[in-house]
Amino acid sequence: MKWDEFFVTGEPMIYAAMVSIVLVSIAIPAGLTYFKKWGYLWREWLTTVDHKKIGVMYIIAALLMLFRGGVDALLMRAQTAVPNNGLLDGQHYNEIFTTHGIIMILFMAMPFIIGLMNVVVPLQIGARDVAFPRLNAVSFWLFFFGAMLLNISFVIGGSPDAGWSAYFPLASLEFSPTVGNNYYSLALQIAGIGTLMTGINFLVTILKMRAPGMKLMKMPMFTWSILITSVIIIFAFPVLTVALALMMLDRQFGTQFFAMQNGGMDMLWANLFWVWGHPEVYIVILPAFGIYSEIIATFARKNLYGYKSMVYSMVVISLLSFLVWVHHFYTMGHGVMVNSVFSITTMAISVPTGVKIFNWLFTLRRGKISFTTPMLYALAFIPIFTIGGVTGVMLAMASADYQYHNTMFLVAHFHYVLIPGTVFGVIAGFHYWFPKVFGFKLNERLGKWAFWFIAISFNITFFPLFILGLNGMTRRMYTYSESTGYGPLNMLSMVGAVGLTIGFILLVYNIYWSTRYQPREVTGDPWDARSLEWSTPSPVPEYNFAKTPVVDKLDAFWFAKKEGKSLTEEGDYEPIHMPNNNGQPFIMGVAFFFFGFFMVFSWWLPAIIAGMFILGTMAYRTFEQDHGHYVTVEEIERTENALRGEKK
Amino acid sequence: MKELFPVPHVIGFVSSLLLSLIALVVIKFDLSFGMGMTILGVTAIIQACLQLFLFMHVGENENKTALLTNIGYALFVGLVTIFGTLFAMMWGYQMI
Amino acid sequence: MKIDHSLPLEYSTEENKLKILGFWVFLGAEIVLFSTLFAVYFTLQNNIGNGPGGSHIFELTPVMIETIVLLSSSFTIGLGIHAMRLGNKKAMMTFFGITLFLGLGFLGVEIMEFFTYVHEGATMQTSAFLSALFTLLGTHGAHVTFGLLWGGAILLQVKKRGLTPETANKSFIFSLYWHFLDVVWIFIFSFVYMKGMM
Repeated sequence: MKWDEFFVTGEPMIYAAMVSIVLVSIAIPAGLTYFKKWGYLWREWLTTVDHKKIGVMYIIAALLMLFRGGVDALLMRAQTAVPNNGLLDGQHYNEIFTTHGIIMILFMAMPFIIGLMNVVVPLQIGARDVAFPRLNAVSFWLFFFGAMLLNISFVIGGSPDAGWSAYFPLASLEFSPTVGNNYYSLALQIAGIGTLMTGINFLVTILKMRAPGMKLMKMPMFTWSILITSVIIIFAFPVLTVALALMMLDRQFGTQFFAMQNGGMDMLWANLFWVWGHPEVYIVILPAFGIYSEIIATFARKNLYGYKSMVYSMVVISLLSFLVWVHHFYTMGHGVMVNSVFSITTMAISVPTGVKIFNWLFTLRRGKISFTTPMLYALAFIPIFTIGGVTGVMLAMASADYQYHNTMFLVAHFHYVLIPGTVFGVIAGFHYWFPKVFGFKLNERLGKWAFWFIAISFNITFFPLFILGLNGMTRRMYTYSESTGYGPLNMLSMVGAVGLTIGFILLVYNIYWSTRYQPREVTGDPWDARSLEWSTPSPVPEYNFAKTPVVDKLDAFWFAKKEGKSLTEEGDYEPIHMPNNNGQPFIMGVAFFFFGFFMVFSWWLPAIIAGMFILGTMAYRTFEQDHGHYVTVEEIERTENALRGEKK
Repeated sequence: MKELFPVPHVIGFVSSLLLSLIALVVIKFDLSFGMGMTILGVTAIIQACLQLFLFMHVGENENKTALLTNIGYALFVGLVTIFGTLFAMMWGYQMI
Repeated sequence: MKIDHSLPLEYSTEENKLKILGFWVFLGAEIVLFSTLFAVYFTLQNNIGNGPGGSHIFELTPVMIETIVLLSSSFTIGLGIHAMRLGNKKAMMTFFGITLFLGLGFLGVEIMEFFTYVHEGATMQTSAFLSALFTLLGTHGAHVTFGLLWGGAILLQVKKRGLTPETANKSFIFSLYWHFLDVVWIFIFSFVYMKGMM
């Protein structure tokens, strides 16, 4: 292989990216050395098994990926803003919409949600950590290095370019001869294994580690949403694992699964992809529903309306989400029977979602609403998401879908679902739980400015796409002629995209500003909220709860506050058992990165060595004996006094 | 020595061997497709249950309900994947 | 570490219970993984292209040997867990050793079988049917191979450290894994081989 095949060449933007990558990779180690932070980084972050720190790392990675995916989005909007634009060529445009999709779904939405659940769930159920802290670290590092593997593709070897759904035969070796789609199959595989482990970890945590008295039906709604999400992760991700493995075999080992000769069936890929892909949609949306439920109840100062119907509708969604996948390829040409069945299941799944919308509205009704930043996102979510939902029902009708299929109408629809649903949800959750993790609130004024920019610009960006789609503009076309008349609406969409960028920059500026100037939080409960995580001091000590709380109803913390009671029993502190930090998960992640990289280029010998090394880390782990450590009573007293003042 | 070979385990082992032999019927005799699949399905499911309840001790776990729900959910998704795929990718073309 | 002596060793600590439940959940994910492979196989089983079909290449003898060997290994690991609960370390180790030996035997026969197929011109690249067949069997075989390494590591630990809550827990979880592989094999036996030869 020649150097100019190994590195991507010939694009000024790519050269600029290479230069910045080199600069950053010099700047980070140099900075760490100058400030003598290597030890701190290793001890406090790279080896941590603390669910709160792992959650923070997930969120930082997700924010970085949000900007990577956001730049992709801006480039796409810029390219299509005017007819016959030459900013990007067709190949570059293909790569950009592909990585935008992969990164936003798998490396932004997923880790942001997993980050929030890492931070919040153990605190909400009164646990000291997750069930398997070490495995949690492994999950994070697999996700992280999977994401890194995908990200280096655009300077080394070339990015995947067959769309985020990588349909065959386009994604086959014959039509996509670069290593781009090898990156796709391997990077997603590595990150996906991490996600599966997270699902198992949180299911067991929620089932087995709840505080005494917290029956399933007394859990906060966010925890419920994570329970259901974990179940969907556990049963959906193995399908992706298989699909990606078959893709790898087809592209690199010459098998015939999705080939167009020798009995292969190209649409079988689409089928498998969406068997996973549709539940995946609910994996990223249900936690957002959970976040909104918490925020709306907190800031309406009312208990959540229809708690049981909320739970049952999520259970129904989790089952139905596995029964609708064919609606992604109605136009493949199956018989009427198939399309009818999946039309009906698709329309059915909008019913439990509708139930939830009404529950939020009834929670708001006659509540004492305070318009904080997280609440603004929650309030904006309801109407905007409803537009996304209603256009979804339009797409659900198979016969009508023949008209909408693969047009900008579809693009507008899923952005109207995913942005107010998932993105607003995680940003709202980010603002809401930020003081719990860092000990101070984000600035409300800046937060609201960012909110208005994001909410208004979002509609300016994506509403025109509905009309463009109905006028016949297909998705993924890199340019169009002036006579089509698509120009003005695309330009409007570009204006919206700029507004969204300003909104997200304000959001990040807010983090910087608040870190420097916001007053520190002393109560631990800045929002006067309802669930257990607010009974701990902010920032939360390593062991979370000095004494395990005892719960007897939903929102027990709220009622305890009102009645002036304590949630813990009288008595002295006891030593707390905690897991030890460990560097193996990080090392394993690095090994997976190299394994994946060598596999991408079919360098078998290095790949085998890296694979043996991974097995070696597993063997080392099984022979290791690590029983964790105890936090002593004196240490707990010292920490609690420092964090809570005189109060014991 | 005898206590090392509990009767239920031995019976379970012998019956799983027997069930495998019964499954051979489908290739030794000329049966209809439906009949053959029924025999295979029944023998396979009984064998799986033997493993699950006898050897894997599902029943003794304190989270029995959670375990059975878990297996039930996995079977739901697994069967939907198998039959849904067949429905969408093969059978669906013959139906008007 | 609190140890509850009223329960079998493998369940005796809180951590052990979590691990057993977690592994069961993992097996749930494995059920879906193998179901997907079966879905692919069933979809492609008649797409033989220019290659041979199942009825041409399947042979009864190796399949029956594999089945009996794997069923026996499932039986012996069950006896191993029973011996472990009686506190009989020596018997437990013997049964686990036999299990791994039988697993090795299974793998040997399977590899021979693969060689025969390839020799007859039925390779993974020949047709979609064969790609699906080799992938389904290969994934099961890879699980058995991993099991041999894992089981061997556990056996060494039991030998070195005796039957502690930790080693007993690992052995029990390994037995779950092994029984699960047997269950998968039963379905491969019935719906790949028997159905293919019907």
